[in-house]
Amino acid sequence: MNPMQRMAAHARQSGVALQHCTACSHVQYPPRELCVACLADQLEWRIAPSEAGVLLATSLLHHSHADEFRDALPLRVGVVQLDAGPSVICFLDANCVVATRVRITARNDAEGRAVLSAAPV
Amino acid sequence: MMDYGDIAVCTPVTVAYARRSEHGAAWWLGSALRKLLEASGLAKRQVDGLCLSSFTLPPDGPAPFVQYVGLSPRFLEYLPTGGACGVMALRRAARAVQCGDADVVACIAGDTNGDTTFHDLVAQFSSFSRDCVWPYGAGGPNESFALLTDHAMRRTGATRADFGKLCVAQRQWAQRNPLALLRSELTLEAYLAARPVASPLHLFDCVMPCAGADGFLVMHRDRAMALSLPHARILATIERHNAYPDDPIQWRGGWAMDADTLWQQAAIGPDAIDVLQTYDDYPVISMLQFEDMGFCAKDAGAEFIRSNAFGPGGNRPHNTGGGQLSGGQAGAAGGFLGMVEAIRQLTGQAGERYVPGARHALVSGFGMINYDRGLCTAAAVLAA
Repeated sequence: MNPMQRMAAHARQSGVALQHCTACSHVQYPPRELCVACLADQLEWRIAPSEAGVLLATSLLHHSHADEFRDALPLRVGVVQLDAGPSVICFLDANCVVATRVRITARNDAEGRAVLSAAPV
Repeated sequence: MMDYGDIAVCTPVTVAYARRSEHGAAWWLGSALRKLLEASGLAKRQVDGLCLSSFTLPPDGPAPFVQYVGLSPRFLEYLPTGGACGVMALRRAARAVQCGDADVVACIAGDTNGDTTFHDLVAQFSSFSRDCVWPYGAGGPNESFALLTDHAMRRTGATRADFGKLCVAQRQWAQRNPLALLRSELTLEAYLAARPVASPLHLFDCVMPCAGADGFLVMHRDRAMALSLPHARILATIERHNAYPDDPIQWRGGWAMDADTLWQQAAIGPDAIDVLQTYDDYPVISMLQFEDMGFCAKDAGAEFIRSNAFGPGGNRPHNTGGGQLSGGQAGAAGGFLGMVEAIRQLTGQAGERYVPGARHALVSGFGMINYDRGLCTAAAVLAA
């Protein structure tokens, strides 16, 4: 199972899974097989029902390259800087406001992928 | 840093872009090579170096390509770095010639565009983008750049009209460039009234994917003069990848790390630049380049746009061929568009869009939007 598949499995069972490095404590996203900071491969999953952060930017998507999304347009997406460190691209609840705090949760989409969504705190 | 001495950059060629093509990438790249030979008078065997960039060449790579076109180079570079590949090719070609690893280096970038090419490229662009961007609506680069644009508008106070001013000026240049794909008049009113694609981006903020190829040659100045080829010189270059990885969102590019080095090496400053060719896959990226390369202070990009004129006859001629926004984005050739236009301007080959007295040009590139940011930045100062 690659790191993205593991994140999806954690999303199915427990919530938001972020990799953290047991060698240097760095927390990273997107998932990968090495620590981006120290290149160690001793990564563990830090799993929580949700992660908090600040919304940095938003977009309302009116066009998609994939049929699976066309009926759902327009879709609201954003960039959230997590308190844990990394920034994530995620779906946004309609009430999320830039520069305010939000809470990220994880789920599996129809393809089984891990996807993140933000809602106001 | 070692200067570029007597290196000549010459023979800008373009294989006329097309909205769609049934040709393979090798046809586009090979046609650019043929045009380089025709324009220079060189025989194929005299081209002993090649710098190649393409997204749609796979499964072929650079070695299968040289067999495809019958070249036997002793220097071969493959630069799959998108918008930064033009400056990167220039740097590598110039050093190869200086060091004697090659006598004549052909730099070529191009891509085809079939019915599903762009979709396929976006869906499988990289592992991070496939796993952590595509599942969020599959907006492709529009989505990533919409987020960067939203942030930049909040940071600088830039409005849609500011970005529209850049787009309208580029369309005015494109109307003087027979090679630009989009040449019908674009007014600010039409720009503002266009349909939303990924807010705050609307239709005219987004490049049109197309097929095409561009190329140029790098050789010793003596060789260029012997061949009677008008040529430009290289004053300075910079390159940086994955700059500022800890920025939570990309509000500056690698140019900001290296601009001082660039201007120091060039021994001129931004005010001495007669023609400015920024990488314009979206207008916000041009604004970032204005800021990060010192044409204005950081966060002053919007004010810089408002207080300068970028079109024909303006004080700050910018993307004088129309850029990608009016010319089309032919994949990797987008990384060459500013380079061939700068060479044309400096060598009197820019036709009716020639900027009188153009002596210095800045070409900058920006490539590979991956996950949340563009990774590759590069720039070159060229002189007539």
